[in-house]
Amino acid sequence: MPSTNPVIAMQQIGKTYPLADGVYQALQQIDLTIERNEYVAIIGPSGSGKSTLLNLLGCLDQPSHGVYRIGDERVDQLDANALAQVRNRHIGFIFQSFQLLPRLTVLQNVLQPLLYRVMPQREREARAMHLLSRVGLADKAQHRPNQLSGGQRQRVAIARALVTEPALLLGDEPTGNLDSKTTAQVMELFDELHQQGQTIVLVTHEQEIAEHCQRVVRLVDGQIYSDIRQHGSNQA
Amino acid sequence: MTQAEWLNLGWQSLRSAWLSIRGHGLRSLLTMLGIIIGVAAVVTVVAMMNGLSAGIRSQLDDLGSDMTTIRAMTTPEQQMLGIQHKLTEADVELLRAKVPAIADLTVAMPAFSFGLSVVYGRKSTQSQLIGADSAYQKVIRIYPAQGRFINKNDDLKRRRVVFIGPSLIKKLNLPAKPVGQFILLSGDWFRIIGVGETRGSLFGLDQDNYLITPFSTVKAMNGPDQLQVEISYQAKAGVDDNMLQQQIRQLLRQRAHLAADAPEHIEFITAEKTREQFGKVLNSVTTVAAAVVGVSLLVGGIGVMNIMWVSVTERTREIGIVKALGASPAFILWQFLLEAVALSLAGGLIGLALGTGIAWLLSSMLALGDSPLLPWWAGALALGFTSCIGIVFGLAPALKAARLEPVEALRYE
Repeated sequence: MPSTNPVIAMQQIGKTYPLADGVYQALQQIDLTIERNEYVAIIGPSGSGKSTLLNLLGCLDQPSHGVYRIGDERVDQLDANALAQVRNRHIGFIFQSFQLLPRLTVLQNVLQPLLYRVMPQREREARAMHLLSRVGLADKAQHRPNQLSGGQRQRVAIARALVTEPALLLGDEPTGNLDSKTTAQVMELFDELHQQGQTIVLVTHEQEIAEHCQRVVRLVDGQIYSDIRQHGSNQA
Repeated sequence: MTQAEWLNLGWQSLRSAWLSIRGHGLRSLLTMLGIIIGVAAVVTVVAMMNGLSAGIRSQLDDLGSDMTTIRAMTTPEQQMLGIQHKLTEADVELLRAKVPAIADLTVAMPAFSFGLSVVYGRKSTQSQLIGADSAYQKVIRIYPAQGRFINKNDDLKRRRVVFIGPSLIKKLNLPAKPVGQFILLSGDWFRIIGVGETRGSLFGLDQDNYLITPFSTVKAMNGPDQLQVEISYQAKAGVDDNMLQQQIRQLLRQRAHLAADAPEHIEFITAEKTREQFGKVLNSVTTVAAAVVGVSLLVGGIGVMNIMWVSVTERTREIGIVKALGASPAFILWQFLLEAVALSLAGGLIGLALGTGIAWLLSSMLALGDSPLLPWWAGALALGFTSCIGIVFGLAPALKAARLEPVEALRYE
C-alpha cells in the first residue's frame, strides 16, 4: 500500500436499515480518514452507531451510500466474495468475546486466516508461531482455547488478527470481557503494536481505553460529534 | 480466481469437511446409515443378479443350444374354460413321418408330476421320474459319470432300468458305485444302469435329484391314457429354424383340429428363447430393485440434508468468525457441499463393502451356483450416484451457510 494514501478514507458514508414504517438512519454523513500508524478510539453511547461503523470499517457490511476506500481500493461496491478477500488482506479483527474456533488448537486458530491464501502450510505455521511468541503464548500452541484464561484468549485473537499483516487492526470492545489486570496487559500489547507502526482502531465505551489512543472519535446519533487528537497519551 | 487459489480452496474445504465429520463421529455414521443401507441393497441385488445371470447363462449354454423343444401350452384363460392342450405320442409319430427336415427327434415324458417315492433298503426319498428315449441325453446334456444312459434296446424292450442323478446316492444311502443295484419305484424294481454327472444346484434347487427310465417303460406304467409328452428335435443342417417351426406348428394345429384364428397351443423352447426370457425377467427384477434403491437413497439423502441443516445452524457463529477472517461465500459453499458429498460418499463406500459382503454371504448360504459378481460399472455408478445425492441434498444447506451475513452470524448464540 503506498504510504502517501491514508489507510482508510470514508466520504459521506451513510447506513440505513429498512423499518416497518420508513427507514432507520444508523449512520449519516460520516467523513473519516485514518492515516498510517494512527491509534484511534471510537466512542459513544449505545445506539450511537459505533457497531455499525465498526462493521463498515471492517467490511463486514456495506454502506448504503458514500465512498469508502481502503488504501487506494474502493470497497463500498464490492460483492460478498471480494469483500471477504478485502477483510482477509487488510483487516485484523479483535472481538469482545474473542471469537476463537473452539474445535481448533491455538496454533490452528492463529493460522486460520492464512488458509484463505495460497501458501505452503509450513509457512502458515511458521508465521502463526512467530505471532504466538510475540504475544507470549508460544508454549500454548497445541492447547485448545477453552484451556486458556480470558486474557490469554484475547492475546491469541490478537495474534490471529496480526498474522495476515493487516493494514488495520480493528478491535470491538477488546477488553470488554476482561478484568482490570488483564485489561492492562492487553492494552500494553496494543500500545506496543502501535509503537511498532501498526494502525489501530478500537471501538469502546470505556474512557480508560480511549485514553490510550492518540485520537478519539465520538459518535452521537449516527454522526461524528467530535474528533480530537490527544498528543502523547500513548506514553501513559 | 487462479488455479492455485482454486486448488487451495478445494484442499482447505476438504480438510475442513473431514475435520467436521470426524468431530461428530457417531452422528456422521448415523447420518450415513440411510445411504449405507441403500447402497448395500443395490450392490447386493446387482451382484447377486449378475452372479446368477452368469451362472444361468453358462447353464443355458449347456442346455443343448441346437435342440428345440416343443411343449403343449395352455393359457390360464383356456384352463378356466376347461381346455387342456396336449402333445401325445401320435403327434410324435406325425412329426417323424411328415417332417423330413428333422434330423433327430426325441421324446420325453415327465411321469407322476407330483413327485414319486423311491426306496432302497430302508431308505426312501422323493424324486422326479422322466420317461425318455436314448436321444434325450442330447437334449438335457446329462452324461453318465458311471454306467451308461438309456439305450434303444432298453426302450424297445421296456426294460425296468433307471439312470439316476448323483444326489440319490446319498439320499438313498446307495453304495458309491450303485450300478447294478435295484431300487423300488411305484411298486416295481428297477435296476440302476448309470449315474449322471454332478450339476449342482440352481436357485437353491437340487439339479441332481432325478430318475430317467425308458419312455416305453413309463408308458406301460402309466396305463393306456393319452400321455402328455415333450418333443425335442434337432433340425438338419441348413434348415431355417423359423420355417421348420412354422411347418411343425401347421401340422400340429391341423391334427388338433384348431380353427385358423385359434390361439397357439404349443410353444417352441430354444436355448436362445430361454435366454431371452431370462433376460426379460432379469431386467424387470433390476428395474424393481433400482426403484427400491432409488427410494432408499432418497431417504438417505434427506438424512444428509437434515444433518447438514443442523450442522449449519450449529456452526452459524463459527461461519461468522471465518467470514470475518476472510473466508469467502464461495469457500463456505464448497466446504459444506464437500462435507455433504464426503458424508454420502463415505456412506456409499461403506455400503459398497457391506453389499459385496452380504452378496457373498447370501450366495454361499443359498448355494446359488456361481459366486456373485459386482461389475465395475455398478460400483462406479453407486459411488457416482451417492456423490450426486450429496450435492443435491447438500446444496440448500451449503447455500444457506454461504449467504449468512457475517454480522448476524457473529452475534448468533
